[in-house]
Amino acid sequence: MTDFWRRNRSWLWPVIFILPAAVLFGVVIVWSSVQTLWISLHSWDGMGPMKWVGLGNYVELFQDPQFYVSLTNNVIWLVLFMLAPPIGLGIALLVNQKIAGMRFAKSLFFTPLVLASVAVGVVFTWVYTPQFGLLSLVYGAFGAAAPAVLSDPNAVTFAVVGAALWPQIAFCMILYLAGLNSLSEDLIGAGRVDGARGWRMLVHVILPQLKEVTFIAIAITAIGALRSFDLVSVMTQGGPFGSSSVLAYDMYRESIFSYRFGYGAAIAAVLFIIMLFFIVWYISRLIKAEREA
Amino acid sequence: MQSNKAGVSRRTFIKYGAGTAALAATGLGTPALAQGRKIKIFANQPEAGVRAGLKDIVKGFTAASGTKVELSFTDHEAYKTAIRNFLVTDAPDVCFWFSGNRMKAFVKHGLFTDLTAFVDKEGYRDVLGGVISAVTYQGKVWGLPLNGTLWGNFYLSNVFKEKGLTPPTTWDETFAFNDKVKGMGLVPMTIGTKELWPAAGMFDQFSLRTIGLEKHMALMDGKIKYTDPVLKPIFDHWEELIKAGFFLKDATSYGWQDAAALLGQHKAAMMNLGAFVNSALPAADKDYLTYAPFPKIADIPRYEDFSTDSIHVPSKAKNPDGGKEFLAYFYEPKNLMKFIGPAGAVPPRNDIPKGNNPLINQAMDSLRSVKGTAQYYDRDTDPAMAQAGLKGFQEFMAFPDRREAILKRLEVTRQRVFGNI
Amino acid sequence: MYPRPIQEDARGRRFAYMAIVWGILIIWLAPMFAIMLTSVRTASDIAAGNFWGVPTSIGLIANYTDVFTQTPMAGFYLNSILMTVPSVIMVLILSTLAGFVLSRYRFRGNMLVFAIFIGGNFLPAQIMMIPVRNLMVALGVYDSIFALIIFHTAFQTGFATLFMRNFIAALPSELFEAARAEGASPTQVLRHVVLPLVRPALAALAILIFTFVWNDYFWAVVLTVSDTAKPVTAGLAQLRGQYYSAWNILSAATIVVAIPPVALFYFMQRHFVAGLTMGAVKG
Repeated sequence: MTDFWRRNRSWLWPVIFILPAAVLFGVVIVWSSVQTLWISLHSWDGMGPMKWVGLGNYVELFQDPQFYVSLTNNVIWLVLFMLAPPIGLGIALLVNQKIAGMRFAKSLFFTPLVLASVAVGVVFTWVYTPQFGLLSLVYGAFGAAAPAVLSDPNAVTFAVVGAALWPQIAFCMILYLAGLNSLSEDLIGAGRVDGARGWRMLVHVILPQLKEVTFIAIAITAIGALRSFDLVSVMTQGGPFGSSSVLAYDMYRESIFSYRFGYGAAIAAVLFIIMLFFIVWYISRLIKAEREA
Repeated sequence: MQSNKAGVSRRTFIKYGAGTAALAATGLGTPALAQGRKIKIFANQPEAGVRAGLKDIVKGFTAASGTKVELSFTDHEAYKTAIRNFLVTDAPDVCFWFSGNRMKAFVKHGLFTDLTAFVDKEGYRDVLGGVISAVTYQGKVWGLPLNGTLWGNFYLSNVFKEKGLTPPTTWDETFAFNDKVKGMGLVPMTIGTKELWPAAGMFDQFSLRTIGLEKHMALMDGKIKYTDPVLKPIFDHWEELIKAGFFLKDATSYGWQDAAALLGQHKAAMMNLGAFVNSALPAADKDYLTYAPFPKIADIPRYEDFSTDSIHVPSKAKNPDGGKEFLAYFYEPKNLMKFIGPAGAVPPRNDIPKGNNPLINQAMDSLRSVKGTAQYYDRDTDPAMAQAGLKGFQEFMAFPDRREAILKRLEVTRQRVFGNI
Repeated sequence: MYPRPIQEDARGRRFAYMAIVWGILIIWLAPMFAIMLTSVRTASDIAAGNFWGVPTSIGLIANYTDVFTQTPMAGFYLNSILMTVPSVIMVLILSTLAGFVLSRYRFRGNMLVFAIFIGGNFLPAQIMMIPVRNLMVALGVYDSIFALIIFHTAFQTGFATLFMRNFIAALPSELFEAARAEGASPTQVLRHVVLPLVRPALAALAILIFTFVWNDYFWAVVLTVSDTAKPVTAGLAQLRGQYYSAWNILSAATIVVAIPPVALFYFMQRHFVAGLTMGAVKG
């Protein structure tokens, strides 16, 4: 036994290390997800027996105009959400100074991330509410009437994304703060010797070192954009008449409110396939980057 | 495994392991007795007043019967998700829910206990009268009806007095009212459709005033097509009012509470909801809130939306007898009013003396001239249909010209849910 | 450090810099002020649509007292702590181990395992509701904080493993080669090379995971119903009624609930810096 151990410990240790995470994740998350795919082939109200419908749910989904509205909104989310990493980096750079009171200021920049999304949604609703919302009061001060953005099918998604960016920026900020704190002093010093300052230093010396963080920030932001539904739920409930809905919210509404778990699962499956593009892109870039290194 | 032998499952132990390990420890000593003398209640109305009332009832029940009660609250929306989980897995002994169609869904799956014998034994049929139909399905009684909400127009009597207004009672008066009120710079009817369901409330009003209860319920049961011309008067009248500027502009931007704020600011004349509008009004105005039925349109008897919540014993309850014992205590008039009074809702029992809440009294008086009641659009029809309907009505209120497209879409959903007719 | 630190003796510049930071902060926190302002309002103010003006009367004490008297908030708080702390610790342990293996050992299927961790994390979690519920019922932990601990640990391990794997992969490989040349075992490498260097990452991760788990509302509702097991977010939602929501009390509760993660962030910042100093010594 000890012999076996000695001979094989070089690979046994890694296996022991990864096993708890892999087993737990496999049983709870992966297995549940596979079951979800199975559910998507059925018509099911969540309680009674499941009825096999094959690809019926998917056929219905691709004929549903709501699906395309939500898909478009997901793209808008995705594009606008990419503002979060650069702004987060900007704030992280701003507060990465050791000055009295800065620690407290950093904590305050972080707060949006920890507020319950109900609260974030409600407050931003008050910003947009016609007649007595903040926007309305500001416009009113100039004698103008603010547009009712939450009632405008073309503007509503932008208004919701605006609210969602607030915590997302705080999220990216904390990632970059951690990244800025593990920069190599040698490289910065060398850069300074070469006369690099400010913007050039940032682009040529700092950002390359923050590549890992940027990578994570973009991936997480993309996930957030595709998965996000709680602000839609709080601020508009997908309205007006579905024009601000996103796939995740459709899935939620179909499953939880309409009790169509099979159909909801089908939406989730499609959402997952879209995300698969990101995963593949992400991993292939990762492999490439590491080969080069 | 050892704890299993002691009569307390690992599961119960774990459950209390969290914050209340001590509770589990006491449970270990007297398992058999504790099992029989304990009930669990899940409630979905966490408003401060109602919660205090229910807690008070529970305290009284424990004192009277010696049964321990574990009472938990869940917020109203989350409860709709939670109940589908706990009814099929780990059910309480008493749970709150809604009568009518939403109750039926669970009865069909065998998730509620048949309370017919219990209701007969306690003699509830006499005091409930027609209300019992809301909790009856296939000739059996599956729960006890609770607070009723009568839906209609609400206005502030002080504002109306000051401006010399009276609530419209006929279709013609409605337009005269509309002109007059708008001339004063007020919104005739404030409405927030962000939460979708208020738009369905308007649909119900027009439906019950034009096509009547029987056809309305047939539509709810999926027996009339949404494209059927029989529904035309509903949307014709509704559209006429929308185009006359009767409703608040950009209604989809407002939640109902935001919309009610306009009532409180005296910028709007009326609001079409239930008596709970009261909770969203400034203290100074609360006493003036007054009910008026939605104006008469067609020459048919008066029907109204009157939605009732209900209380049930799940069929997977561990102590159903304890649950029923609690129901009997809870349903005593003086206890029942502790729960219903704070919500300003109508009591289900007809042997409850008049209280001093004018809104309740008004609703009870008004109900006498009502020929029949529906619950509410999203309680009467299938949940999937309701989702589509709510969305469609919200859109109709914003863009009445899209009527045809909306109704076609609803008909597609109706066919999927109820099948061809 | 980057940006270049402002000199200690440049008093004027330091002051001006802080003034700019606070200026930005005020705009940044405008919605937050609205929540704070609302938390001291009375119901009448809100009923009158006064969301942004000066409160006409102050309900500060009443609102914050109501948070704790209307709901068993103290118990929810305790449940949240009992749920969040073990989850965070387990996630950190599991993801450091998994991240170490995935970044430093080449084996067949390495990328596949990593992809599965990422993929599971990309899924909208809500759709796993029914299978996860069934699993928790089968394990006998439904409606207890253990259900939440198991789920959150599993789910967050996906994201955390992604994070840790990349972080460890970015560490200079000379360190690992040197350790291997000295004949260090995997456990020794983990203890003496990896752990000291990943401290800033662990600190950031701990804060994020704490925040995610602490703020979760959906799973709290799906996996717990009893007040004895419910965390603080589900308790917060209890302040919303069937129709009416008392926004002033809800705002007060929001602030009460947000305090632990913000405090954690404030105190954990030290560890970002500790990681920096460590790196400087090693480098």
